Amino acid sequence: MSDKGKDVDLTRAKQNTGVWLVKVPKYLSQQWAKASGRGEVGKLKIGKAQGKTVVSFNLSEDLTVVECSGEKVSSVRSPREHPFTMQTVGGQSLAVFTESSDKLALEGMVVQRAECRPAVSESYMKLKKLQIEESTKPLRFSQKLEKAITTNYKPVSNHSYNLEYEKKKKEEGKRARADKQKVLEMLFSAFEKHQYYNIRDLVDITKQPVIYLKEILREICVYNPRGPHKSTWELKSEYRHYKEGQEEEEEEEKME
Amino acid sequence: MTSLGSSSSSTTEYVVRVPKNTSKKYNLMAFNAGDKVSCSAWTQARMERDMSNRRIYGEEESQEGAAGSEFGKKQKEESRRKKYGIVKKEFKVEDQPWILKVNGKAGRRFKGLKKGGVTENASYYIFTQCADGAFEAFPVHAWYNFTPQAKHRTLTAEEAEEEWGRRNKVVNHFSIMLQRRFREQERGDDDDEEGEKGGKKKKKKGGRGGDLRIHDLEEDLEMSSDESEGSNGEDDEAKAKSKKDKGPKGKGKKKKKKGSDFEGFEDSDDGDFEGLEVDYMSDESSSEEEEQEKTKPNKGEGVPKGIDEMSESEEESEEENKNEEDAKEEEEEEDGKKTPVQVEKKKKKDSSGESDSSEDSDIEGEAASALFMVKKRTPPKRGGGRGSAGSSRTGSRPGTPSIDNAATSNTLRAAANKLEQGKRQTTIPSSETPAAKRLKMEPSPQSSSGKSTPQPVSGKSTPSASDVQLTEDAVRRYLIRKPMTTKDLLKKFQTKRTGLSSEQTVNVLAQILKRLNPERKNINEKMHFYLTE
Repeated sequence: MSDKGKDVDLTRAKQNTGVWLVKVPKYLSQQWAKASGRGEVGKLKIGKAQGKTVVSFNLSEDLTVVECSGEKVSSVRSPREHPFTMQTVGGQSLAVFTESSDKLALEGMVVQRAECRPAVSESYMKLKKLQIEESTKPLRFSQKLEKAITTNYKPVSNHSYNLEYEKKKKEEGKRARADKQKVLEMLFSAFEKHQYYNIRDLVDITKQPVIYLKEILREICVYNPRGPHKSTWELKSEYRHYKEGQEEEEEEEKME
Repeated sequence: MTSLGSSSSSTTEYVVRVPKNTSKKYNLMAFNAGDKVSCSAWTQARMERDMSNRRIYGEEESQEGAAGSEFGKKQKEESRRKKYGIVKKEFKVEDQPWILKVNGKAGRRFKGLKKGGVTENASYYIFTQCADGAFEAFPVHAWYNFTPQAKHRTLTAEEAEEEWGRRNKVVNHFSIMLQRRFREQERGDDDDEEGEKGGKKKKKKGGRGGDLRIHDLEEDLEMSSDESEGSNGEDDEAKAKSKKDKGPKGKGKKKKKKGSDFEGFEDSDDGDFEGLEVDYMSDESSSEEEEQEKTKPNKGEGVPKGIDEMSESEEESEEENKNEEDAKEEEEEEDGKKTPVQVEKKKKKDSSGESDSSEDSDIEGEAASALFMVKKRTPPKRGGGRGSAGSSRTGSRPGTPSIDNAATSNTLRAAANKLEQGKRQTTIPSSETPAAKRLKMEPSPQSSSGKSTPQPVSGKSTPSASDVQLTEDAVRRYLIRKPMTTKDLLKKFQTKRTGLSSEQTVNVLAQILKRLNPERKNINEKMHFYLTE
């Protein structure tokens, strides 16, 4: 267990770096994701007014364009001013750790919590309205079609996949009875892999006609009509020897 | 970084960047402030995912290969699941809890559970200030709440429920974990124990017993665990004999007694115990105390002696064991019965010789030579009635109308007393069954006074008259059978049976003894009387 555990890199934690934890509205983070270049998204103003610290974030101009779904060109712009509400960390001690593909590191402790709120303005209201409209649309909706769709189900004399099937069958032909020894070999090798087999599966494996196969099976196998492995065939106990190799049994069988 | 000095307030502007290329995922680690976690104080930390849920969510791998497997089983299972629409939850490594180990093996361990719903409606960003003064914002990928993991032993759910049921009765909570540890040890040592019936086991028991002392002072309860080591030695010496008896019978009996003790009880409401005229010492709740009475070490000066020390009679060891049996049987018999009988039964059970002796000891203190310490009030949590009973131990026995000096006068208690009174006054033999039962009970605690007949059909439980009346014949009979101390004799003639107050009993007994003039013998440093015919 300790091999799996990754050592946490504590170098930055020891520096007592303090970080801020800021809660940001969803639309804003979407805008931020669209940032280009070095990733500058705006400016943070920290000041003092009447003895209190006032923090505000100003979004860059080019990021205020809001994309919206639908064909309409966006006439809505997201607000630019975002005052921060500062909160205390209190009740919890929060640390930040990073996980990269190969290592874990502790980045620091949260010293301040803040909430980024948009300044209430016309543009913000419009934005919200847009959002609400989008969210109230149901995921599934019924739509009336003008024209009936006629391309799907056309009556066919014979379906294509049916034709393929029939062709395949013809090629294979009726299953021929192979040599009994060969069949037995096939059966034994099959039973080496699994203990219980369905008759259908055995037919597929051996490619023998069912009646012939059943005759052979009755010699070496026993049928389970019920139980956990219902309607399956398994080797008779004298031929069964699952711990050791099967070769011995096969040879005995051959001798017979 | 540009600083704009504006007119009214000073603001500084910082550029905020959201880096795009981060391969690092930022997560939050939340600790409860009360845990006092200081990340800078860590010297070393290891963290890994807790994969213990994998086997629940992971595919159950049935045995591959020849034996027991069916051809095409997997496909069949899959198609079956699809048919019934059974959807299995994926095991996502991302969502698994973290295990954080700080400062190596000896340090703390934390478990970090992912908090859901963090990134649904709003995103959290971590703002760090860079060297150039700009802020960099990183989105928080996940939030984990870390809680410290207990290193000390805890009870399992079943054990916790058990203890919860006994919470009103158990006084010494330290013993709970100790006993659990002992039980585990015992299971482990089962083979070894056979050979070690001697010192080691006793020592263990002594140690365990050393933690429990029967006394009234709540504040001293904390000390018990500390003193266990020191008093162990004393204990062995002092109680060597009793321990020998305890040894073989010990554990099983204790367990049984404990179990049966509590099985016999119906659920007790708080008021139930109030009618009991029981000396505090003999509280039923400390059944463990009772069992370990013998192994109580002397606590030392300043601490009241346990019940053991108070009641020193030679037959103590026998009596204890007999008592346990009797108590058990009593309970089984008494199961259905209510108030007077039950009250009495409880009283008897609680007393189980100890309280009797202690009660009697009070009386005897006045009459006989032995000195006993005065006991204190019951702690209130034991039930008001007990407390009052304890306080009223100046000889007032149940049956006297004004039972206690304490403030609690309860309808239940009053009723119990009245019933007892009535019982006493109406000739007891008339009510055969309860009387017979009472007789059965009586001898058992009183067997502590020296009768080695545990069963109801003891020699002395012949027609109640002899028991009830404090006569010379009765005393003679006792003394012929066996040497007894005055205290034992007093036990035989309990005031509520004879209808005399304790003082009267003492006087009458003294007179009888004068008349009989029995021979004296010093056994175990106690004066015993006996007669030879």
